[in-house]
Amino acid sequence: MPLPEQDAAPPSAAVPSPCISVCTMNPTTGWCDGCLRTIDEIANWSQMGDSERRAVWLRLDARRTQRQRHAG
Amino acid sequence: MTAFDLPATVRVLERGWLSSNSVLLYDDHESATIIDTGYASHAEQTVALVRHALGGRRLARIVNTHLHSDHCGGNAALELAFGARILIPPGHADAVARWDEQTLTFAATGQRCERFAADEILRPGEVLRAGELDWEVLAAQGHDPHSLALWNASDRILISADALWANGFGVIFPELEGESGFAEQRALLARFAGLAPRVVIPGHGAPFTDVDAALERAHRRLDSLATSPERNARHAAKVLIKFLLLDWREVSSRALTEHLAGTHYLPLLNRRYAPQMAFTDFVATTVDELVASGAAERRGDTLVNRDN
Repeated sequence: MPLPEQDAAPPSAAVPSPCISVCTMNPTTGWCDGCLRTIDEIANWSQMGDSERRAVWLRLDARRTQRQRHAG
Repeated sequence: MTAFDLPATVRVLERGWLSSNSVLLYDDHESATIIDTGYASHAEQTVALVRHALGGRRLARIVNTHLHSDHCGGNAALELAFGARILIPPGHADAVARWDEQTLTFAATGQRCERFAADEILRPGEVLRAGELDWEVLAAQGHDPHSLALWNASDRILISADALWANGFGVIFPELEGESGFAEQRALLARFAGLAPRVVIPGHGAPFTDVDAALERAHRRLDSLATSPERNARHAAKVLIKFLLLDWREVSSRALTEHLAGTHYLPLLNRRYAPQMAFTDFVATTVDELVASGAAERRGDTLVNRDN
């Protein structure tokens, strides 16, 4: 169970998980409403190396922008 | 920590803090076993993730390390979707059969869990064969008196549930009621050190290989909590409220206080550790601490979850 001072990542963290505990897939976008990942990206996350995870984070930034534009 | 640290038959589905991680173990080309199933409100995503990761296999078994709502909340949905058999620790098997939410921790914490029926009991000392690996079932008391951990000696993999995370461990609940828990957690950390895991798959957070550092941090954390039961209580109160905020995202102060008044832990913590405070004030001061640490924010009378 969570608190900022006791978060999951150790001090010298690898690329952290984008999960913010919303965990609801959006049928229209195909992305999680919270972290904006696809099912495939969530399921494969623990297998990815750091560079692949960073690539996912970049895609999430783009999706966030896209979602804001559609919402606005 | 990359894919190379775990065998191909072990697939970690990392979630967040409202849902525990799940560990999917491929028993063969046709069937799989899952360890822990996340929270009830995330069950739809859990089923979708598991379906995706099964790759056409059958989900034959669900195993719960312990029966906290964030670890067994997906049991019902997964059983419905895949027809899996459910294996649970012995401690609350009777309460599960009767679905006694008072004895189970759901009413006590104010959390929810979909009802399920267990098919089998998994006991400390037994061996679970899953993912083509032998897992010794360990008793992992501390955070929860009935928790299990799973230890694979051949690949030196520890599935530690909430007994050990990269940076801490779950609330030591028994101590909140004046029952022993710190000593058990101390002994458990020592046991884990003795096993010398190569990789730990925790109940929350990424799998990690720097086990010595995690154990060191856990010991320091335990020292801090064990020397001050009041600190443990304040921490528990914050964790329990934060959990609800993660589920609800936002709630009025009044609705939160009313909900908590009907639970076991928050009134108990108020009575035992801050008896001079009215319950409303006890909740408000705990929320103040969450706000101060950036875990929540107030907007008028509404409390809103903040992600770190």
